[in-house]
Amino acid sequence: MTASKIRSGMTRLVPYAFILPPMIYLMVFMFWPLGRQMYMSLTNTRIINPNRGRFIGLGNYQRLFDDPAFYLSLKATLAYAVLAVIFGVALGTISALAIDRPFKGRAIVRAILLFGWAVPNVAASLIWLWMYNDRSGVFNRLTEALGIGRFGWLTSIDLALPSILATTVWQVAPFVMLVVLAALQSVPHEVREAARIDGADGLSTFRAVTLPHIRPAIQLAALLVCVWSIRRFDIIYLLTGGGPVGTTSTLVVKIRQTAFENHELGMASAYGAIGLVLALAVAAIHCTVEQRRMKWMAR
Amino acid sequence: MTIKNLTLKTLRYLLIGILVVMAGFPVYWMAATALSPNSELYGTGQRFLLQPQNLFGLVTELGQVPIGQWLFNTLLIASGGTVLSLTLGSLAGYALSRFKFHGRGVVGFLLFMTQVVPEALILVPLYAMFITFGLLNSLTGLVLANVGFSLPVACFVLKGAMDSVPYEIEESAIIDNCPRFSVLTMIILPLIAPSIAAAAVVSFFAGWNEFLFASTFLSDRANWPASVGLASFVGQYETPMSAVMGTALVFSIPAIVFFLLIQRKIVAGLTAGAVKG
Repeated sequence: MTASKIRSGMTRLVPYAFILPPMIYLMVFMFWPLGRQMYMSLTNTRIINPNRGRFIGLGNYQRLFDDPAFYLSLKATLAYAVLAVIFGVALGTISALAIDRPFKGRAIVRAILLFGWAVPNVAASLIWLWMYNDRSGVFNRLTEALGIGRFGWLTSIDLALPSILATTVWQVAPFVMLVVLAALQSVPHEVREAARIDGADGLSTFRAVTLPHIRPAIQLAALLVCVWSIRRFDIIYLLTGGGPVGTTSTLVVKIRQTAFENHELGMASAYGAIGLVLALAVAAIHCTVEQRRMKWMAR
Repeated sequence: MTIKNLTLKTLRYLLIGILVVMAGFPVYWMAATALSPNSELYGTGQRFLLQPQNLFGLVTELGQVPIGQWLFNTLLIASGGTVLSLTLGSLAGYALSRFKFHGRGVVGFLLFMTQVVPEALILVPLYAMFITFGLLNSLTGLVLANVGFSLPVACFVLKGAMDSVPYEIEESAIIDNCPRFSVLTMIILPLIAPSIAAAAVVSFFAGWNEFLFASTFLSDRANWPASVGLASFVGQYETPMSAVMGTALVFSIPAIVFFLLIQRKIVAGLTAGAVKG
């Protein structure tokens, strides 16, 4: 073998020297645990001895599918994700359209509109908890002043989900706004101007010119908000703890409670496996809609 | 026509006004609560205006909260995670940006996967693993768990930046047999400093805000970061609400400042390759 051949063999290994350390890291701290979780869901592992569960086959899943709490949790997860997407994307897009064109004080307005996104989740939860407070919260003081009495914003079955959604939308709408604003800047100004001169009114200009330009951005924002809603733990856990009677107990909250309050790690892993199926379903949609992003990675 | 324009303009400003109130009020209320005396919060009713004259009282109240220690732990967690995810993220970003190799598509796919996996899914197995390796209740373990989620985002931001650096710049160094690792550290990384800063801020605040892993893995109060400390106020009534909101405010201000400073870069990182190109 000649020296140059050896060197070209070495050159082929160079990319792996770069990609292996991060990939090994992800294998150890992300993908191996994911696989381990799938296995644990087939065991009766309890928290006293987390590394020594007995294999019990599909026992956990059998219990899961017989448990009304599981369906409640699934319903809460889907309702929370879907509604967060609808309201978050709507409010974010409206905000972006409202501040797209220059006006006096735009920079300050833009900064204030981003507050919800910038405040850390735990701090945001504490503010909203205080605002929803039964006795001294600002919302109940307002409704009382209006003469419609007090509400259990986080404790009544009908209001708990809408209340955590309000907090969630406050947090995600600014991100949607930023994504849509970035896309709006790519709409050629002349095209809009031309449409206006041709006598098109605001709404038809929007539908014919602006919307097609920002549609991919809105789609992407919707997907990200959906993914984040399935992942979100802190806000729901701190505001309602999954209550009242499970109306806000999303899968993620359920995993944590089953594992560390009921001490049933095997059962929690079964909830996790269902969560993984849900995440993979969203990822599949993600990959189909976002083929461009996958190509970008591989370019 | 002009009347119609005028109404439209008024409506637009009205809409902007409503949006500003909705978005800004909770943060304003956090400050207003922090600056209210307890007699008002629990008795006569909180006033709607800011009362800056109570700042001194707030500072005394914050003395009862171990806020310094919490923020110090938060700082350790956030900076440790930043260093680790930037190091690994720039290696992965460089490999994806500059080389064609077998398994590239798989790598890209796996990095995307991490973005849809809820943290809670690996909570239980990580807990079991950390018990085995003695990483439970340690800040090191927490950093190792967090970086799995911040590394891919750092990689997306850095890969995007490296793509825009022309190959010719490193070509001569490669011909001179300069090791590729030095090409990365001596030539590429200095050129993309602004994006490194952006990736650093994203990773830093991912660690700063993290709550699920921290609240599960760290049982020892001395290790608590501010997120866990703040959450411990929920359902506990000894700490006055003004001190709670004061702590929340101190914890939020750095995040607000940095998020506003690099908002565009964060969006570019999270949506990399999707909207443009």
